[in-house]
Formats: sequence, C-alpha cells, structure tokens
Amino acid sequence: MKKKLAMLLVFTVAISMLAACGSKSTDNKGTAEGVTAIEFWTANNPPQQAYWESLAKEYETVNPKIKINVSPMKETPSSEANIQSAIAGGSAPTLSENISRGFAAQLTNSKALVPLNTMAGWDDIIAGRKMTNTIESWKFSDDNQYVLPISSNAMLFGWRLDILKELGYNEPPKTYSEMLDVAKKLKVKYPDKYVWAKADLADPAAWKRWFDFFMLYNAASDGNKFIEGGKFVADDKAGIATLGLMDNLRKENSLLAENITDPFENGVGIFTDIGPWTLNYWAERFPELKYNETYTLAAPPVPDDVKVDHPKTFADTKGIVIYASAPKEKQEAAMEFMKWVYSDAKHDLQWFEKTNMPPARDDLSTNDVFKAFLDQNPALKKYAEAVPYAVPPMDNAKFNELQTFIGQEAVNPVVRGQIDPTTGWNNMKKAIEEALK
Amino acid sequence: METKNNNKLGWLFASPYLIYGFVFFLGPLIWSLYLAFTNWDLIAPNYDFVGFSNFIKAFKNPAVQSSFWVTYKFMMVFVPLVTAASLAVAMIVQGLPKLKSVFLIGFFLPYLSSGVVSSLIVKGLLSYNSPVNAFLRDNFGIKINWLGTPFTALMIVALIIAWKFAGYYALILTSGLESIDKEVYEAAAIDGVSRRQRFWTITLPLLYPAIYTTLILSFGVTFGIFTEVYQLTGGGPNYATNTWQMEIYNQAFKNLQAGYASAIAIIAAIVTFISIFVIKKLLEMWGKRNGWV
Repeated sequence: MKKKLAMLLVFTVAISMLAACGSKSTDNKGTAEGVTAIEFWTANNPPQQAYWESLAKEYETVNPKIKINVSPMKETPSSEANIQSAIAGGSAPTLSENISRGFAAQLTNSKALVPLNTMAGWDDIIAGRKMTNTIESWKFSDDNQYVLPISSNAMLFGWRLDILKELGYNEPPKTYSEMLDVAKKLKVKYPDKYVWAKADLADPAAWKRWFDFFMLYNAASDGNKFIEGGKFVADDKAGIATLGLMDNLRKENSLLAENITDPFENGVGIFTDIGPWTLNYWAERFPELKYNETYTLAAPPVPDDVKVDHPKTFADTKGIVIYASAPKEKQEAAMEFMKWVYSDAKHDLQWFEKTNMPPARDDLSTNDVFKAFLDQNPALKKYAEAVPYAVPPMDNAKFNELQTFIGQEAVNPVVRGQIDPTTGWNNMKKAIEEALK
Repeated sequence: METKNNNKLGWLFASPYLIYGFVFFLGPLIWSLYLAFTNWDLIAPNYDFVGFSNFIKAFKNPAVQSSFWVTYKFMMVFVPLVTAASLAVAMIVQGLPKLKSVFLIGFFLPYLSSGVVSSLIVKGLLSYNSPVNAFLRDNFGIKINWLGTPFTALMIVALIIAWKFAGYYALILTSGLESIDKEVYEAAAIDGVSRRQRFWTITLPLLYPAIYTTLILSFGVTFGIFTEVYQLTGGGPNYATNTWQMEIYNQAFKNLQAGYASAIAIIAAIVTFISIFVIKKLLEMWGKRNGWV
C-alpha cells in the first residue's frame, strides 16, 4: 500500500511539474457567448500601455461583442525574440503594436502576418485617418501592406545651441564643411569636448545604424533607397561621403565612439540624434535643457555639393500588425477595433500627448485637432514638419544581417580609423551583395 | 521478485528527473539536430532540407570562427583568475578565527546577483565620463577605451565572471579544506615544514578533488558566456568577445535563422564536449602524475 502511495505521489509530482512548465495559448480561446476576445500586445512602455488600455475599455462600451485583452510584450531578451517564440509556440496574440518595418519584413517572409490591405475596412482606415501619402512608402515589395503605421518619428539631430553660440554660431551647420569648421573651433575653445560623442558608432548592432548612418545617408542621397527588390541600389557617392564625414570628424579629434553616459546632456558632445521620445526624458532628468536656448533641432547636415531645401532623414516608424495565426474571426475583430481607433483624430491627439510621438498621418501639421498641442510644443512641431522628408527603414527580410554589415564593415572600422571611407564602403557593399545572393 | 519491484520503484523515483531531462534536454537536442539540416525559421509554414549547408556556412563564417577562438581566450584568462581568487578566498576564510560562514556568504552573494545588473554597473563605472576615467585622464593623462579595445573588453568580461563565480568555488574549496585533518599540518609544523611547503605538499594534494571539481566547472562556464557580453560589448569590438552563445542568439533571434543557429549550436556542443573531455583527461593525468589520486 505504502509503495502504491509513493508511486502515486511521484507520478503526481512529475505530471504537476510538466504541467506547470506548459504555457497557455493566449489566442486559441473560442468565442464565448457571442463575445470575441482578442489579445493585443503593446510596447513595454507605460504611456503606450495606458493609452491602449483606455482605448480598449472605451471600445468595449461601444462594441460589447469584442473584448480586448491588452498586455505589454516581454522585452527580455528582446520583443522580437518574444514574438518569434510566441508564433513558434502557438501563443501569438491577435495583433501587436511597436513593429518596425524591418521586423515586419522578416515576419512577412515567414507568412506570419496578414496583408492588411486585403481585409475589409483597410481603405476606410486610410481615408478616415488621412494617411494616403504616408502609407504609400510602407508598401512592401509584394505590393501589400502588412503594417498600419501608428507614429512616424522623423529623426532630427540635436545641437547644443549654447555651445554653438559661444563659438560664434547662431544656428546649426547645414553642410559637412560647415560642420568641420565648428569642429575646429570647438577644439580650440574646448579641447575636451567633441562634436559627436556616441558609443553606438563603434557598435555593429543592426538597429543602431538607423540613428547614425541612415540619417546621414538619407540626407546625402536625397532619400535614395539602399536595398530595393533584393538588390543593393545605394548611392555610392552619398555613402562614401557619409563615411567621409565620420572619418573627417575623427581626424579632427571631434568624434568619440566610446561608452559614455549622456554625452549631449552633459555637454561632452554637441551633436546627437534625437527622437521625440527624448523630450519627455529630458523634461524629467535634464530640466535645464531648453529648446532654442540650450539646444536646437535640425535636419541632418549634407555634403557641400548637395543642394536641397529639406534634407531627408530616417523615419523611426512603428505600427500595428495582425498575426496570420489568429482565427479569421479574431482578425476581423482586430480590424474593427483599428477602424474605430483611427476614425477619430482625437485618438491620435491622445497618442501624441501621451507619447510625444507624431501620429503617422498626412495632415499632422495642418489639422486643427493638433494645432493647439503643437503650438504649445514647438520642438514637436519641428518633428511634425519633418514627417514628409523622413524615409522608413528597408523592408528586406535580411535587414538585420545587412545592417550589421554596414556597422561591421564600414561605420565601425571607419570611426576607429582602421580603414578609409572608400575601402569601408566597398567592403560593406561586397558583404551585402554576397548576403543578398 | 523483490529485486524486480525495487527496480521498478527506482525507475519511478528517478522518473521526474528523467522526464524533465527528456523534455528539456534530450528532446530539444534531437529537435535541434533536425533543425540544423533545414532552413526553417520556426515560423514559416514551409521549409526545405538543406543537408550540411548550414554547417558548411557556419565553418566559413568569420563570426563563428571567432566564437571558437574567443572561448579559449576567455578560458586562458578566466580559469586561472577564478581559481586563484577562489583559492585565496577559501584559504583566508579558513584561517579566520570566527564568522567564517558570514564571510563565505558575503563572497557567495555575487553568484546570486543578476549578470545584467552587474554588467550595467561596470558599464557605468567604465564610461568615458565616469569618475574612474576622469581621474585617470586628469591625473595621469591616461585614456582607455575599456570596452572598445579588444584586449581590455575581453579582460573586463572575464573579470566580471570571475568575480561572480569566485565565491561559489570558494565554498567548494572551503569544504575541501575543512576535510583535511589538522593533525597533518601539526605534524608537518613539528617537522619544521614551512608554510609554503605545507601548501604545496599537503594542502594542494589533499585539496585536489575539490580543485578538480572547480576547474571542470570553470572550464565549462567559458562555453556558456552570454549575459555579460550581450550587455557590455555585444560581441565586439571586431568579434573580440563574440562567444558561441552570442552568435547562436544573433542568428536565431536577430536574423531569424533557427536552422542555421541550430547548426552552430550543434558545432558548439561538439567543441564543448571534446574540449571538456580533453581537459578532464589532462587534469586526471596531472593528479595521477603527482600521486594525488
């Protein structure tokens, strides 16, 4: 009897252990009593989560037949890895936000996303949200739309205006030679300061190239694509000029690519990429930084021979996707929810107010709904104005590998002074072309 | 009949671990072997068998080649460092008149600390504008790009991991030291044997089983380095700290190439197995040659 009891105990423990390790599928629950429950993963960012939770609650009162379970996506080790694991494990949500175009391309390549333009209601969203022009650049190479962009953060460069004024400048330099003049003057007055102090310049991580290389390259090439239809189509001259700027700054001892804490905020560097999300962070941590007093915002500098009124820049854009693994009924419910959200510009205003990230719509700087908010926030107005000149990331499924090559073969060795810009560009081009074969 | 029943009961009692081992170790290993011969990313509905091409690609990849060498470089720095540190801690604690366990717990705490947190603290300490670097620059004119230089980046990662594991290994060594009969030392002291001679002729031989254990464990650690590298250097500069785990992570979760990442993981497992086997044999030869086992 004792033996039988012991056996039963061991068996129960073993089964319990295994059961505890199992994960519950979050998206395969059926419809209960005519209510369709959908899972919505938001970015792991409290303001964004709060925004979606409040909209979901509001929507449930408008349409009680759809229940939206909002939860933040895990970020350890990365949100992309968690989404990939969830899809592989059959526990993917119905929809999620914070998806970049590059990652969407990877997921699309694996047929994990629903082409949104094939769903009923897509055209209503585009027309209702007034985003016909914005959405055009989001089209994937198969002519489908897989991501509904929420925000379009046209990245700008911040300049320490207080230090520029000490050097005799009232506005940021616009061309590379003007920038090098600033570097020379800065070193004379402040030998310990740098024009560009940024550790990421020496880091090969793919996403980091969006905030250094692509900002400058898009401006230098006037938005010429980098990869198109699986082919390397970058503008060689603009690319070499971009690397040349980094190299020249290094030669002037004005570029610091080392691990450094808040270099721009502490005044060790006077030039850095700034996204609109940084403004909230500064308001809390560095209240002494005031727009148009301590710092200002500007489009990327361009090579001397590039004559453009509005230099292009990089658009850090994130959007919503619907997963192909979700049952059709849930996909449709998700579309209904999106349609409701984007039928009212006030929802976009709430987003803008909560996150500081400009909604991806064509009428941002002209729609009266946003006027008062933009008037109160002149720095954000600058971002809103730059939206039409911002180029979204490439839509190649190998974007991570390709952008790692930009760092490893070109940007990183150039900023370390190991190779010249032309060699770096050619090495990078060779590696990318090889990977695209 | 009694023996047969006992055998059944034995299997039954072992079953939780066996099931756990199958589900979390053997199963994934077999699955990984299967994946290594495909081009699957775990998401796509369709995939192809690609034979050995993932393995061939891995052997040609400079990042994979660097992972191979970087592991041995870490080994050369980390193993002597952690062995010396843990031995020193164990001997100092052993010599304390009281509060031994309090000090041992103190040294053991880093082992429980999060690798992410300790890495971030070190990152802050070594940043360009940290007090450490400001002091070096202002007083000695020394400018060191700690995490941007291959040699220093590797040393720093090895140091953090050694700091983390030294207390844990010290526990093992302390229990080894505790098991050495005090009378042996007393007899040696009466015979006029110096402290240094006592260490080499009594402590080291009698501590050999514990040292053997810590050495095998520490060699094993070098094949699994990830968190510190991920947080501090991302495998750079120039692949100088690109470990096996880092490369597997990059391929599986950044490039979404699960099949290729599995091939690298299989290669890493084979390299680890062979290396540990050789190291184990060398350590046993060392013990036998000196008559310690």
